Parts: sequence; C-alpha cells; structure tokens
Amino acid sequence: MTCSCEKQTNGRNIFLPTLAEIVSAQMITATEKHFTLRMKDGAKFDFEPGQIVEAGVFGYGEIPLGLASSPTVKDSFELVVRVVGKVSSALAALGAGDTMTIRGPLGHGFPVSEFKGRDVLIVAGGIGLCPTRSMIRYILDRRDDFGKFTLFFGARTPKDMLFTDDLTDWRCSTCMDYHETVDRPDDRWMGNVGVITTLFKKTKDINPQTRVIICGPPVMYKFVVKELDALGIPRSNVFVDLERRMKCGVGKCGHCQINNKTVCMDGPVFRFSEIQDLEEAI
Amino acid sequence: MTTRFLSDGALKQFVQALMAKGPVIGPVARKSRFVFAALEAPEDLRLDYDTTILPPKKLFFPTKQDLVKFDSPSSFSGCVEPKEQVLLGVHPHDIKGIDMSDKFYAANIPDSNYLAHRAKTTIIGSNVQKHYKHAFFGSVCRELKPQGHDMFLTRLKGGYLVEVRSKKGEELLALGKFEPASREQAAEAEAVNAAAEKNCPEKLNDTSDSVREKVRASFGSDIWNELSRDCFSCGSCNIVCPTCFCFDVQDEWNLDGVSGVRSRCWDACLVSEFSEVSVQGGSENFREERAERYRHRFMRKAVYLNDALGGPACVGCGRCSGACTADIANPTVAINTIMER
Ligand code: SF4
Ligand code: SF4
Ligand code: FES
Repeated sequence: MTCSCEKQTNGRNIFLPTLAEIVSAQMITATEKHFTLRMKDGAKFDFEPGQIVEAGVFGYGEIPLGLASSPTVKDSFELVVRVVGKVSSALAALGAGDTMTIRGPLGHGFPVSEFKGRDVLIVAGGIGLCPTRSMIRYILDRRDDFGKFTLFFGARTPKDMLFTDDLTDWRCSTCMDYHETVDRPDDRWMGNVGVITTLFKKTKDINPQTRVIICGPPVMYKFVVKELDALGIPRSNVFVDLERRMKCGVGKCGHCQINNKTVCMDGPVFRFSEIQDLEEAI
Repeated sequence: MTTRFLSDGALKQFVQALMAKGPVIGPVARKSRFVFAALEAPEDLRLDYDTTILPPKKLFFPTKQDLVKFDSPSSFSGCVEPKEQVLLGVHPHDIKGIDMSDKFYAANIPDSNYLAHRAKTTIIGSNVQKHYKHAFFGSVCRELKPQGHDMFLTRLKGGYLVEVRSKKGEELLALGKFEPASREQAAEAEAVNAAAEKNCPEKLNDTSDSVREKVRASFGSDIWNELSRDCFSCGSCNIVCPTCFCFDVQDEWNLDGVSGVRSRCWDACLVSEFSEVSVQGGSENFREERAERYRHRFMRKAVYLNDALGGPACVGCGRCSGACTADIANPTVAINTIMER
C-alpha cells in the first residue's frame, strides 16, 4: 500500500507568495490606505468579485484582504488596508514603487451567475464597502447583465467614508439607486442619519427576486436580514461576506473555522441560509 | 501480504542496519514516560512502551516548521528539505492518526511541506504490549483499519511476527535475518492484536455513527458548560492529540534585521486568542466562552472531521485525558456523559 503523499509531493509550496508592485498608494481615511497593485513580471491575476488574498510583508506576516476592485480591470487590482496591528501597519508603511507579497486569489467569491439578469441590492457597512466594491464595480462595468441595482452604504461618521470619489459618482449616477447614512453626523453632513436599516424606507420596489449581498460589522447582519425577510426575499438569495482571522488561507491551519466551515475555503462569501444556524458565524 | 518472523537477536541487528542508513526514530524512555526520539543505540528502543507524550505527527509536522526563507522584502524561497527517516514502533491507533493527517493535508489544496516529509518517512508499526491507563482505541474509530505504514511487528515469544505492508517494506527485508513465519505464528499475532483492542482500560459505549449524531444534536445544550467548567484554556489536550492539526504562522528576523524565516508552529483551538478576529475598531472572538472552545474540539473530533475524513477524528490514544490538569478532557467521560443524557 502506498501512501497518498507520494503522488502529491511535487505540489507547489502553498506558503510561497508572489510579488506585486504598488502602482499607487493613498490614505483614504485616518486609518485606511488604498493600494493599486500590479503583479511583478507581468503575471496575470484573475479573480472573482468577493475573493480574498493574503497580503504580506516579510518579517511581519500576512493578513487576509478582500479584493476591492473588479476583475473587469485587467492590468491592476486594488486593496484597502485598515491599520489595526503589526502586519497592517507594515503594509500601510509601503508606498508607490514598493512591493508587497500576495497569495491568492483564495476562497469563493460572489456567485456572479446567480446575480445575472436579476435585481441586485448591496448593503455595505463601514469597511464592508471594500470587498463589495469588487462586485459594485463589476456590475457597473457590465451594467446590461443585471437588473435594477441598489446600494446602501453606512459609515460611523462622514470622516469614515471610504472611496469618496466613487461615492460622488454614485450619488448622481443613473445606473444605480444609491443611498447612504452615517451614525454620527458632523456640521457639514446634509444626508441621512441613523443605522443602515433606516435606508430601507428610502427606496421602493425592492422585489422579492432581488439577489442581496451584505457585508459589514457582525451586529449589522441580523437587523438587515430582518428587513429582507419583511420584503419577502428568501434567505437563500442573500449572500454574506464573513471576515475572519485567517492564517494559511488554504484550509489547513484551522484559524478561520466556524463550526464545520472554513472561511478561507468555503467562503468568505456564504449563502445566508447555509450559515444562519451556525452559531459561531454571525 | 508477506509475513516473516524476526527473532529478538535479529531485531537488534535489523535496527542497527536501519540506523546505519539514516535516522531511526522510536519510543525511548524519558524519566517515567516515553517519547519518540532518534535512537542512539538499538537498546534504546522500547517496544514495550505504553504511550508517548507527543504523538508521532511531530516527525512530519514538527512543533515548528520553516515554510519560507527571505533575504529581503522581495527575495525569498520555499524551504522544504525533507530527509529520509524511519519511524519505528508506532501503535496501530497512532498509525490511524497519521493516516488521517495524511488525508487531511492531501485534501483540496495539498500541503507540500507536510507531504514531502511524510513521503520520505518509512513507518514500521508495532503492537500494543502495555496499555496506557487512558487508552480506549478498542472502542473508537473501528471502521478505519491501520494503513499507510510499511511494516508491522507483533510481539510473540522469542521475537516478532513481521507483516510487510508496502513495497518500501518489502525492500527492508534485505536488511535483516527474516525467517519464514508459520501459519500458527500469524494466527497468534492476530489474536494478540485483537486482545489489545479488547483489553483497553477505558471504553466508549456507543458507535461512531450514533456518537456523531448525538454530539451534533447537543450543540446548543448546556452540557458543554457543565463539562468545561474547570477548563484553564491551556490547550494541552490539543497539543498531545494525533488528530489536532492546527497551526499558527509567524515571521522571525535573523540578527541582521533584514533576512529571516516564516514558519508555522502548533496552535490550539482551546486557547482564547485562537479564534480572535480583527474587526472594525478592535477585535472580536467568535468562540469567546471556554465552553464554546471546549465544544469545538469535541465537534471537530466527533462530527466535523468525521464528515470530511469518513470516520471519527479520535483514535482513542487517551493522551488528552492524561494531559489535562483539570481532568476534564477525557473523551470517554465526556462522550459517554453526552450519550447518556
Ligand atoms: S480541557 Fe484540559 S487540557 Fe484542554 S484546554 Fe481545558 S484544561 Fe487544558
Ligand atoms: S482526542 Fe484524545 S484520545 Fe482522541 S486521538 Fe486526540 S488525544 Fe487521543
Ligand atoms: S485560514 Fe487556515 S484554515 Fe482557513
């Protein structure tokens, strides 16, 4: 009897990253830095909206990040780093011309084919706008493939709003129905104030066939799903993007395991009906 | 399957011949206990051991294993440098544990760092001559037969019955004075191994299937609070387990502050930091309560990995029972309690 290992040893070292060059880098809030990257030596980088990468700096480590750009853009991709710890600080210290390491794309993104031809609603809270932006941009680039497109975005304060150039475009876009809110306004804020679910009152005609994406802080999910239930949207048409601390990104280290799922392999995008009963999920 | 007989004297000479070719790792005595360690002399080998402190997984999945070496932020290379080694004297249930980790690391995206070490290791199993006081391998994981090893030795009078299990094992025959084995010796060896299963000091009362369903159904039960009340979250039960595979990844610099290495080391899901997630404005723990972490280990053994590997991911070695200072990790106690409710 031969062990199954013998056939497999030619496999690549799954911990070996590739290098990406930073094309541009910019702080977009007090704590978030926005990177545009290109794979070194012209290597192709294909991914699905909603997939993740492990981005890293040798000597510090790696962190999982959702891709923030659409795969319709072929020669570069974008990531947003929120400075919270050792690795993210090391990443945020990098600038144009520097390199960072990338492993990925990893995991399963949004099932785009299920969204095609349907109305789409995306509910993004705070930094949840980054991973969902891969889908938002995808829809806008392939606008005819989708029905009515509604986007709700909520931030804590106006200062925490990410991608302000995008937001400016979206506010007056005829391609989408965009609504935004903040928890705490400042003197200049003229828009909506309140939690993200208040935006459901702002828009009519969300039909029960709509495909929905939710991404934001864990507390947000339950309240948003309640609104969706009231609209008659089946939970099997609702997708959530779960951010968990990952290490290996390839289903081995156990760090991202919630109940019997690993976020890095089975997710980060999950159908809500499949995880709603997993107590550790949300 | 080829069977042979190896006399006590011939075993010594065989071990010597193996040692002449490369490192031979086997059970050796350390104070009052045993560990798997490289033999310095054939006499070090203690095939009459009861259990080892750590399971043999450490030979392919070392407590700390280098993954990538770097010279600068943009110059790096993988470091998988496996060496030929012989692992001698692995008990049947530990062979099952190795088989599970082989399957786990080969599944989906194969882990070449593990698999390369594993492929270079020759495994010679041996029967349980003395039971560890917490062993219950006779009543768990029975659907899985030990496999993936190259040779197996069973203690008989004056020597060992040798079963050849692979081509690698076949080749080993040239290294020793193996005699033909009689049909009676083969039958005796079978009886010895069956008796070892039957005579385990501890026991699970139910089948894996019924355990899996009942444990799964107990997810929301208060029983996990009761069982885990005295848990220190030390993670010892994870560390000693042949079927715990989790690890952490860390970078370290060399003294020059530029070059260094990224490596992995064993990690434990019972430790609170394991399930911390960085979220907006801080961190959150998705298994904050010790009962949730304690439950996760049992769920992984009895349910989750069971679904993935086709059998319970506990081989009944009893190491966790002995490693737990609070005396609450014993699967026979915990599972039998759940089954009785
Ligand atoms: S069950 Fe026992 S060994 Fe495991 S973490 Fe708790 S105290 Fe430590
Ligand atoms: S759970 Fe305990 S008895 Fe089962 S394999 Fe792991 S250490 Fe051995
Ligand atoms: S990050 Fe290692 S298993 Fe998912």
